[in-house]
Amino acid sequence: MSFKRLEIRHLVKAFGGEIVLSDFSLSACGGETVGLIGPNGAGKTTLFNVITGFLSPEKGTVSFDGTKLVGLPPFRIANLGVCRTFQDVRLIRPLTTVENVLLASRDRTGERLVDVLFRWKRTTRRESKMREAAISLLESVGLLDTVDVAGGELSYGQQKLLSLVCCLASGAELILLDEPIAGIAPEMRGEILSIIRELPNKGKCVVVIEHNFDAISSICDRVIFMDAGEKKSEGTPDEIQTDPIVIETYLG
Amino acid sequence: MEYLVHIGILIGIYLILGVSLDLIAGHTGMLSLAHAAFYGIGAYAAAILALRMNVPFPVSVALCMTLGALLGIVLGALTARIRDDYFVVATLALQVVVLRVFKNCIWLTGGSSGLIGIPEPAVGGYVVSSDFGLLLLVGLACCLTVFVSGRIVGSPLGRVLIAIREDEIVACCAGKNVLVHKLTVLAVGGAFAAGAGALYAHYVGFIDPTSFTLMESIFVLSIVIIGGAGTRWGPVVGAAILVTLPEVLRFVGLPGSMAGEVRQILYGGLLVVFVMWRPQGLMGARMIQRGGVQE
Amino acid sequence: MCQSIANGLVSASWIALVALGFGLIYGPARFFHFAHGVVFTLAPYLSFLFAVRLGLPVPISFLMAVGLSTATGCMMEIGVYRPLRHRGASPLTLLVASLGLYVMGQNTISLIFGKGSKTLGLGIHEGINVLGVRITPVQLVIVLVSLTAMGFSVLLIKKAKFGKAIRAVANDRVLATVSGIDGDRVILWSFAIGSALAAVAGILVALDVDMAPTMGLNAVVMGVVAFIIGGTSRIRGIALGALLVGMVQHVGVLVIGSQWQDAVVFIMLFAFLLVRPEGFLGRKIRKATV
Repeated sequence: MSFKRLEIRHLVKAFGGEIVLSDFSLSACGGETVGLIGPNGAGKTTLFNVITGFLSPEKGTVSFDGTKLVGLPPFRIANLGVCRTFQDVRLIRPLTTVENVLLASRDRTGERLVDVLFRWKRTTRRESKMREAAISLLESVGLLDTVDVAGGELSYGQQKLLSLVCCLASGAELILLDEPIAGIAPEMRGEILSIIRELPNKGKCVVVIEHNFDAISSICDRVIFMDAGEKKSEGTPDEIQTDPIVIETYLG
Repeated sequence: MEYLVHIGILIGIYLILGVSLDLIAGHTGMLSLAHAAFYGIGAYAAAILALRMNVPFPVSVALCMTLGALLGIVLGALTARIRDDYFVVATLALQVVVLRVFKNCIWLTGGSSGLIGIPEPAVGGYVVSSDFGLLLLVGLACCLTVFVSGRIVGSPLGRVLIAIREDEIVACCAGKNVLVHKLTVLAVGGAFAAGAGALYAHYVGFIDPTSFTLMESIFVLSIVIIGGAGTRWGPVVGAAILVTLPEVLRFVGLPGSMAGEVRQILYGGLLVVFVMWRPQGLMGARMIQRGGVQE
Repeated sequence: MCQSIANGLVSASWIALVALGFGLIYGPARFFHFAHGVVFTLAPYLSFLFAVRLGLPVPISFLMAVGLSTATGCMMEIGVYRPLRHRGASPLTLLVASLGLYVMGQNTISLIFGKGSKTLGLGIHEGINVLGVRITPVQLVIVLVSLTAMGFSVLLIKKAKFGKAIRAVANDRVLATVSGIDGDRVILWSFAIGSALAAVAGILVALDVDMAPTMGLNAVVMGVVAFIIGGTSRIRGIALGALLVGMVQHVGVLVIGSQWQDAVVFIMLFAFLLVRPEGFLGRKIRKATV
């Protein structure tokens, strides 16, 4: 619980002349959930994009478990144990729920041409084992009856839940959640929040972007307030809630 | 009877072309207009290997397929960073350049006159001289193509390809090396298209550049879309229909001089009709393809 | 050498006309309308039909030909692209539809008029010597018409209300609709103007050289290359792109040989797509809108 897994140092990101991340630093330990709040345009999603390799920073470093992430392509970063969800849900619509979960698995048996052509028995055996595991995972979060439903036909809340389940299935150790409960009904919200609460128990490092401060307080150990690309304030949920800067620019 | 066998062989060849293009365009969402180029390269390579170097047929086919795979990989590597509609233009460019090579490198390809006298295929000393024998050979090739394609589609690899088609970003976040998968599918598709070319060359005995133009690429694309892109049997049905339909016209008394144009107007028209009213094709059942044809 | 440069300028001019029309359509409609080539081919053939076969006066034939060709382009929009667009079809879907339309168009022309090439020659092939370079009156007209069209388009886009509407629809169609701009009408007008440009270009090229049913394919493809290399977003870019294509075609072949003409242009396109996918003057696309 004490050693730092995620280290972000002095990150600077600009689009043309516009600076969207300014000398931003953050660190998080295993088993810790960090909340990220701030007005729209504060740079929160941009931060996620930099961490996951979709954007390159002008300055600064990001490392996870000692490995430098800046400069690596997104898929390599994902394979180092980083997983994220998106503000607007992204999943593969024609694939069924269970297929989406299987897609997220980092086991690449059956995805190589060699396996498909020459190791078919091994591939099919693996596949059925993984399918069982995926189904029981889906059952544990209440998505059992959607197992063979196409992802595009799920409700919005179910889709958000599914993308979280995909993060779990990937075995990622750094989980970045971008507004995981925005726009969904209370019952589903509860389900998602309880899953997020479980994650630190497995030693994972979680960063959550959210606007719903009640939700943030209930799942985060620490909250960071961002505005105009800068870290303006940091502390426990209670501290942030009573911080005058935060109240003035955001909560008030 | 001989006529039916001839149609059967053509259906078989276009089936292979359709299934291989469907892997690239239907499942993975890479709309390629260069498929005729691969087809042509296979045909010319087979012809040159047989005529100039007396390479035995099975070896020749293997070499042609390897060549097709290599070209597919080259195409994929060159277009790695090129997005959707520009990718189509890039494949168009490749198609035109390859066709130019066919027309201009007279010392190699015989130029516009093409190559003649390509021998019948011989497997282990046995010459396949009857059309029926060739139909069997093509049939075997079709089975192989459908088998490999079916395996790919039904495997985790197939899932990754669909993911790449629908949302590359999700695929990346799931840790998939999108480039490698694109190269793989272009290689497999290219290999089978070249193989079809080799079969074609040995079947008709002579080839020239007019069989491998952009129009041909569009024709194969029509087979994929009308049959049903991204489905298991779509290209098969598409090939059967688009090859036989114009032949039906002949029986209705259409003069031979018009046949070529009418055939093309027909498939061009069918393509537009299907894109507008049944984008999932004949065999498609549900909504597919963000980057392709949507319901 | 100077002759080659002159020829290159002439080519660049008509390619620019085609690319301009193509680009005017791409602006608001946001897809590659390959069937643009049908309009290009149809106009000279209709002129042939009216002037040569039916003996109508030449100016009237040209006007009717341009009018009917433009109408054909508009009908493609109304009959095929618009319904697809309303159904949320992707640009690739529209591209595929345009390929089907192109195949139908070229082969219909071929069916009616024959596969071989024809001349629309009206006896004006005598070249005149300008600055030591041989150029025919038709070629001069091509260059002039092209420059005029480009100038006019720049004015149209920059000043007129319509131009502003095109830019609005090009940037964000939904927002434009909310602001009261009828996206469909803007797109239809762009098809009209763009097709007219292609029709005029087709007639001019047919007057200069021959015409064949396949001329449209070559034209639209060269136009697409010019458009992409030029950066797809500004008229200056299209002009530059067309210039480059024209020059490579005529000057480049001095080194390589005319049978490699279009291959060289395409290799150039490939190189451009590799290095600068956004072309000469296009804006750099932000990597991954995530």
